[in-house]
Amino acid sequence: MQSSLHIKDCQLYRQGELLLSLNEQVNGGEILTIMGPSGSGKSSLLNWLTGCLPKDFRAQGEVWLNGQNIDNTAPHLRHIGVLYQDALLFSHLTVAGNIAFAMPKGNKKQRLEKIDHALGQVGLTGLAARHPDSLSGGQQARVALLRMLLSEPKAILLDEPFSKLDTQLRVDTRELVFSQIREHKLPAIMVTHDHSDAEATAGKVITLGTDA
Amino acid sequence: MNKVPALNSLFTFLVKICPYCLVALLTLPVLGGVIGVLLPAFGWAPALNETNIGFAGFSALWQTPGLTHMVGLSIRTGLISTLIAFMLMIIMLGAFFNSVWLKRIEYILSPILVIPHAAAAIAVSFLIAPSGLFTRLFSPWLTGWQLAPEGALPYDAFGWSIIIGLVLKELPFLLLIALGVLAQPELGKKLRKQHQIAVNLGYYPMVAFFKVVLPSLYPLLRLPIFAVLAYASASVEMPLILGPNTPPTLAVAIMHWFNDVDLNLRIKASAGALLQLAITVGLLLTWLLLEKIIALVFKQSLINGRRQYAHQLICTFTHVFTSLILIFIVAALIGLVMWSIAGYWRFPDTVPSSVVFLHFQHAFTQIHTPLFNTLIIGGISTLFAITMVLLCLEAEQLNAKPMSKWTQLIIYLPLLVPSIAFLFGIVWLQQLLNSQHAFFNVIFVHVLFVLPYVFLSIADSYRRLDPRLARVAASLGASPCKVFLQVKLPQLFAPILIAIALGLAISFGQYLSTLLASGGRISTITTEAVTLANGASRRTSAVYAILQMALPLIGFGVAWVLPKYFFKARA
Repeated sequence: MQSSLHIKDCQLYRQGELLLSLNEQVNGGEILTIMGPSGSGKSSLLNWLTGCLPKDFRAQGEVWLNGQNIDNTAPHLRHIGVLYQDALLFSHLTVAGNIAFAMPKGNKKQRLEKIDHALGQVGLTGLAARHPDSLSGGQQARVALLRMLLSEPKAILLDEPFSKLDTQLRVDTRELVFSQIREHKLPAIMVTHDHSDAEATAGKVITLGTDA
Repeated sequence: MNKVPALNSLFTFLVKICPYCLVALLTLPVLGGVIGVLLPAFGWAPALNETNIGFAGFSALWQTPGLTHMVGLSIRTGLISTLIAFMLMIIMLGAFFNSVWLKRIEYILSPILVIPHAAAAIAVSFLIAPSGLFTRLFSPWLTGWQLAPEGALPYDAFGWSIIIGLVLKELPFLLLIALGVLAQPELGKKLRKQHQIAVNLGYYPMVAFFKVVLPSLYPLLRLPIFAVLAYASASVEMPLILGPNTPPTLAVAIMHWFNDVDLNLRIKASAGALLQLAITVGLLLTWLLLEKIIALVFKQSLINGRRQYAHQLICTFTHVFTSLILIFIVAALIGLVMWSIAGYWRFPDTVPSSVVFLHFQHAFTQIHTPLFNTLIIGGISTLFAITMVLLCLEAEQLNAKPMSKWTQLIIYLPLLVPSIAFLFGIVWLQQLLNSQHAFFNVIFVHVLFVLPYVFLSIADSYRRLDPRLARVAASLGASPCKVFLQVKLPQLFAPILIAIALGLAISFGQYLSTLLASGGRISTITTEAVTLANGASRRTSAVYAILQMALPLIGFGVAWVLPKYFFKARA
């Protein structure tokens, strides 16, 4: 079955004021882009999808992931991976530790091999034992991507993931992320300020109201 | 016009010397105090006509009957209470991380922080006593007791009563310190985000806390934990009120020896103080070792990918324990209030049969001197401390150089070195310097304990103040002095008041230091309360404990209200 993330009749309110309404289906390998100014509710939409909507907000509507309604599923059981603009690597763990943390339980040796393989694929061979703080911004972003992918998510949310990278790095990292999403055939939603991000997805773009 | 440059150069001068003064003020008395105990311990006490260097003090100490019991009691109560408080703190943080309940628990526990140890001990002793509120609540309908039973608590030989008292005081302290760390804007945000990531990766929230937040949080809690452990292993108030007498903890025994009319016991007491120092250092090292072992044992499980561990069990355990602690605290306070206004109160009755204010009236007729002393000593030592601290923080900003790790450690010094181990030395030094003025001596010693807390309370807010404010003011032509007085201080009005209130609370609660530095000549509410707890009626004792709690709470109340009227930010 093809994987999909379906947002049914979502209406998001902040302190009673309607921020956005949305009714979209994203299929595996597609990237839906949501653009809009700060305060338009982009990030809150992602928070709602992961089940972590702050108290000031209220939402109506349903989320269906691969044909299952996950409205009442606890955040940690939803299997939705998120990439933020900061890599937010765990500084008490090594690079390999960060990725191992995200992987499902299993044979220790196989997990280590999988980590090495994945690091090699994104050009980070040999950095497994390094401390995340010693990596460059682009390297950190790639580790964060691996950490998320190897947790075997069913859908991916991108919260302005490239906004802190400079131009060339941004293009490269974006290519890497998008190609991984397509390769794993995962539904993805990205919120961004940046038009070049939106164009690069070659997918649907929704622009939220500018009145906020 | 001439006054302004003079003020400016005075300010520059003060800011320059203050950090050095702070370091000197904290290290010299503590180290001098330790030396002042070290010398007599090895037999050098000219005041007693003892100048034979030797181990007489130690051999007298080893021959003390029950010494091993004393040492055992000190180690047990110190280590177990700190372990329990620490574990409760982390499971509460873990279970309620990102929950509204964390804020609520913080509100309930904050006032406990400012309750002096003596008052807390009195409240606990009333609650767990055989005729205390707990047995009354269950008698006679459940227990069948018509008369107060023979009970083991308080004063039990193992020290459980002391442990309960210490845990109740230490838990709020550790929890609030941890919440303070998490409230740091950058670190707190990062940890919350990382927690969120772990949850998104499928980790149960509590496991996410233990695997992601705790490893980053713990190093920042180490010093406060050490302060707690050092205090718990060597405190005097709690064991004096809740602990067994035959034998007491080592710290209490040392205090008795020092205060004995037989001055020759002082040699033995000094040796005991050194033993106490060794015990405390040993406990701190034990804790470090435990830390290392635990880190090593759990290193692999951090990254084994396991997302849940007996989730339901741990959650239930945490909820039950949190409720129990809150109930315990509330019951202790209610019991205290009831005793203070109780007329006739027969045993199994849950509430007194009559309410009288006689005990309060009686106390008020005798309270003038202790109250005056408490306020004067607290006021002067706190004002001195806050001035020092603010100038030091300003020096840090003007030099654009953060305080070194050593300075941070030095600020903690009076909290890490057991007070019983250096106070006697200080008193001895004060006598050497012929400082006869009891008030001055007491204030000087109080400053040692007030300074660290005031510093810890205000430092974060001060460092977090937007540096652009000062730059804007400077670009408008304001001198550093003017920026300090007219921009920074008003901006920080609320946290400064909180720091002052905390300083006052610490000073109000001092027992051992007041007793020793004044040679017993100055009575404060706290010294009176401790004295009364060991003899007088429960009702009088309850009244004093309530007064002891009321004073710091009034301070915090004022600190909370004033910013709503002065220098208030536009909402």
